Amino acid sequence: MITVEGLSKRFGNTVAIDDLHFSVQPGRVTGFLGPNGSGKSTTLRCMVDLDHPQSGNVTFSGKHYRQIEDPIRTIGVLLDASYVHPGRSARHHLEYLAVSNHLDRQRVNEVLALVGLTDVAHRRVKTFSLGMKQRLGLAATMLGDPEVIILDEPANGLDPEGIRWMRDMLQYLAGQGRAVLVSSHQLSEMALMAEDLVVIGRGRLIAHESAADFIARHTTTRIRVRSPQIGVIVRAVQERGGDASMLSETADTDGALVTGMSMIDVGELAHGNKAVVHELLEVTDSLEDAFLAVTREDQEYRSGSSS
Amino acid sequence: MKAIIASEWLKARTVRSHWVLLIIAMMFPLIISTLVGIFNPDPQFVSYREVVSIVASSGAFSLLLLSSLWVINLTSEFTHGTIRVTYAAVPARWKVIVAKAVIGTLVTAVVMSVLFWLNFGLGAALLNSRGATIIVDGWFDHSFKVFVALVTFAIIVSWFGLGLGVLIKNSPVAIVVVLLWPLIIESLIALAFALSGYESAWKWMPYQTAFQEIDGPSGVDSALSRPWGHLYFAAFVIVVGIIGVVVDRRRDA
Ligand SMILES: Nc1ncnc2c1ncn2[C@@H]1O[C@H](COP(=O)(O)OP(=O)(O)O)[C@@H](O)[C@H]1O
Ligand SMILES: [Mg+2]
Repeated sequence: MITVEGLSKRFGNTVAIDDLHFSVQPGRVTGFLGPNGSGKSTTLRCMVDLDHPQSGNVTFSGKHYRQIEDPIRTIGVLLDASYVHPGRSARHHLEYLAVSNHLDRQRVNEVLALVGLTDVAHRRVKTFSLGMKQRLGLAATMLGDPEVIILDEPANGLDPEGIRWMRDMLQYLAGQGRAVLVSSHQLSEMALMAEDLVVIGRGRLIAHESAADFIARHTTTRIRVRSPQIGVIVRAVQERGGDASMLSETADTDGALVTGMSMIDVGELAHGNKAVVHELLEVTDSLEDAFLAVTREDQEYRSGSSS
Repeated sequence: MKAIIASEWLKARTVRSHWVLLIIAMMFPLIISTLVGIFNPDPQFVSYREVVSIVASSGAFSLLLLSSLWVINLTSEFTHGTIRVTYAAVPARWKVIVAKAVIGTLVTAVVMSVLFWLNFGLGAALLNSRGATIIVDGWFDHSFKVFVALVTFAIIVSWFGLGLGVLIKNSPVAIVVVLLWPLIIESLIALAFALSGYESAWKWMPYQTAFQEIDGPSGVDSALSRPWGHLYFAAFVIVVGIIGVVVDRRRDA
């Protein structure tokens, strides 16, 4: 388990993280979400003792990173897939890491196979695509078969298929009981990957809850219904205390957006009123819009309170 | 610590540009002695000391290139971000720097030794085939003293490269400082002292005091004899290295 307590880090006058508290549980993927520049990478660097915070603590089952012997056997971290010497082969990159932490070189073959890079392992990294480097980075984090996996924006540079691969891999690893912390600036990506969310904006914690709860709280689900008798349906919805607004777009059939009722209720209402239904659909706000709204609120609140 | 040294050795030998620098460092003196061996107009008058002198001064060029190799070995880790990967795997940062110094010491010692005798043998053989009579007589004669001085000096300069590398982080800047140190920087420092009335400061510049005239008599132009000069320079370099390690430990990687 990872525990972050009161972590603060400034670079000169820039406050990168401000009194951050959260914890990461084993056995699940925790998404670390925030817009660009919100302090995710800085937090992760502080976790593994690369950056020195002005105050606060990060512990892994009670231990500081620097107290852990051969740390890559306990904590696998991928900060940036481009942190490889372009002139070195993928295999040699993994080998020097393995050797430094007393790992068997056979592990290098295993992790290469795990991420599907066996055939290109002898090639110099400068010939790799960003997606291949992300796979190499994941291989490096898996070298020590760690209990904790920390990844900074691992989906960057991956195509949709690569993102699905990454998601399946992370969920598989979490399923084995590991704690997985993965950062992203895209809620939609996190919605697919993570069960828990730690959301930050401008270095401060905004939310720490399950992904489902966060999405439910910050998005509204509406029911879109199209019918030749749309007026009947709208009236029935309003009588039941729901809210309905007509759709102004041009379509073959008139439609309305209903809030405050489930799709089943709307369908049954239509049936009860003998209205023909051409379309009945749940529509959810784009997750990005919701996320932007949340982080914007937070930023406005803070700039308002500080002046 | 053994694991970290093994890891640094693997790193050092798996980058092609390191080998390129090493080969250039070795080729240059060999080319010089080949040219001298073939084109010297009066081989029968070339003395044994002159061959040693050529080997030593071309070796001084090699050791500067070798020290650039150790600068790059370290600073390229900052350039490519691999230092973060390394320090995440080995949080005790000083161990990484010390491991690099161990590799630097061993490689420099082996390369400079091979180079010295290979070069000496090549020059002597070429000249002897053209009528010269150059032989090595006895272990502790002149050539052996020059050999020991050159290798010791090269090792200290390799540490200097690492110390400046960890302090400066930026490859071109650190290389320029290493290369200009003996040529310009120490002269400027000595000049500054001289202008303030300390005329003898020149004799105390660390690099000069250790290098002296590497195949000449000891302690003539400098305040210390050669072995003391080496110790003095080594102490200076170790202080630079310790400052580097302390700064590196305190800053964000
Ligand atoms: N090494 C650094 N020096 C100065 N400022 C930095 C440094 N690293 C990050 N910052 C600043 O800290 C803030 C957070 O950056 P970062 O942690 O990279 O955010 P994120 O990963 O969420 O995009 C930004 O304002 C960034 O400019
Ligand atoms: Mg980032």
